[in-house]
Amino acid sequence: MSYDDVEIEDMEWNEELQAYTYPCPCGDLFQITKEDLKLGEEIARCPSCSLYITVIYNMEDFLDDQNSKKNLEPPKQQAVTVA
Amino acid sequence: MEEDDRREKEKVKEKAETQRIWSWGAGTDGQLGTGSLQDHTLPQLLRLPSLPSPISSLACGGAHVIALTSGGKVLTWGRGSSGQLGHGDVVSYVLNPKPVTSLDNYFITHGSAGWSHSAFVSDNGRLFTCGDGSFGQLGHGDYTSHCSPFRVSSFVDHFVSQVACGMRHSLVLLKGSSVNQVYGFGSGKRGQLGISRDKIKSICVPEVIRELEDKEIVEIAASGDHSAAISVDGHLHMWGRGFKGVADSHYPQRLISSLRFAKATLGWNHALALTGEGEGFMVGGNHLGVLTDPQSLNSAKQSTVNMKEANLEKIPGLDGVKIVDVVAGAEHSALVTEKREIKTWGWGEHGQLGLGDTCDQTSPLTLSLGCELNEAESIRVFCGSGFTFALTMPYDPSLH
Repeated sequence: MSYDDVEIEDMEWNEELQAYTYPCPCGDLFQITKEDLKLGEEIARCPSCSLYITVIYNMEDFLDDQNSKKNLEPPKQQAVTVA
Repeated sequence: MEEDDRREKEKVKEKAETQRIWSWGAGTDGQLGTGSLQDHTLPQLLRLPSLPSPISSLACGGAHVIALTSGGKVLTWGRGSSGQLGHGDVVSYVLNPKPVTSLDNYFITHGSAGWSHSAFVSDNGRLFTCGDGSFGQLGHGDYTSHCSPFRVSSFVDHFVSQVACGMRHSLVLLKGSSVNQVYGFGSGKRGQLGISRDKIKSICVPEVIRELEDKEIVEIAASGDHSAAISVDGHLHMWGRGFKGVADSHYPQRLISSLRFAKATLGWNHALALTGEGEGFMVGGNHLGVLTDPQSLNSAKQSTVNMKEANLEKIPGLDGVKIVDVVAGAEHSALVTEKREIKTWGWGEHGQLGLGDTCDQTSPLTLSLGCELNEAESIRVFCGSGFTFALTMPYDPSLH
């Protein structure tokens, strides 16, 4: 039972995890890697609980990295400004 | 005079020392303040650092907590990976309550914790935000994140009275000389900003919600992709992502109901509202607060029901006992009855119901804090995404 359907453009690229992420109601993050997306995997799982979401995306966008940069603009992780 | 002063200070300190605070549920980022990353299915009595004044309220977010003291000081703990703790650095997590020293020059009266951002309001009406800004949810006119609270300059000429942080958006309530105004900023994809009937991806400069301009709003709420406001006449206005069987709304809609609401609190798929008479109601969710199942999410997509026609269900199992407070987590809920009992229901996988197991509950069940409250105490509850806090407060007869 998928918790939610989430479009890839609403997910955030997490450099540390090397995965696209989306908030899980348990407090952790649903995660899916580019490799998974290339294989057509559409389930993003949360490492801390049993929930998962269905990722809505176009597989072709991930088949070659060049394309994925052109077609996809996930919200970039911004540098945190130290005050 | 000095003697009186000293006695007063001692009294406040004594209150701080006798205050008790418990937490339970998901501890994956240290949000329980127990000093570890463990989940707990039963309320844990915390050993807090000695505070000069007692905690007056908590704000719980995705995986972090903001505590305000009656002396206007701020402490935060839990996940800090986006700078949401406001300590001036980016850390994975902070296990124990730590003061936000950069706000020491202000008397903070109000705070709100979103998924990964935080907001603070001072007694002189100033608004400060920190944490993840990548959706514009800090309101600074850009998409930058900050790890120290920064004053939101859009409101320099206004008096901010409340702030509410959702997953990726924020709402602000201004106290005006003639009318109170509500502003929204951050992600607006599901209509949660309420500023325009057109689709808005995100905005980073606060914009007024015109639909609410002729209503006297007294309280605002935000969580997930939902937003709500209560007007002085007890009307509940909701906008943003739709609930079970309800379509998204890009502008505030007044719920059609003869009830007069005193409080609204939002989860990720449900809303709870409390009337002045102590009756609690729920909008959305599946079995009254338990995790929404995909069936209902699918039906929500096909639904044509407007937000103002959302169905209110009465919170069951209370047998006429009045509710004094109600709070929603992402997928669980908690309430306090006039008998000072805490009841929880909803999703329980991380122990966030505090009932000693990881089961879901469709109806409120009473939990045990493991000790009796004395006559001079009342109790308050606060929910984060997957965790819950309870706090003893000096007894307030107006609530009982």
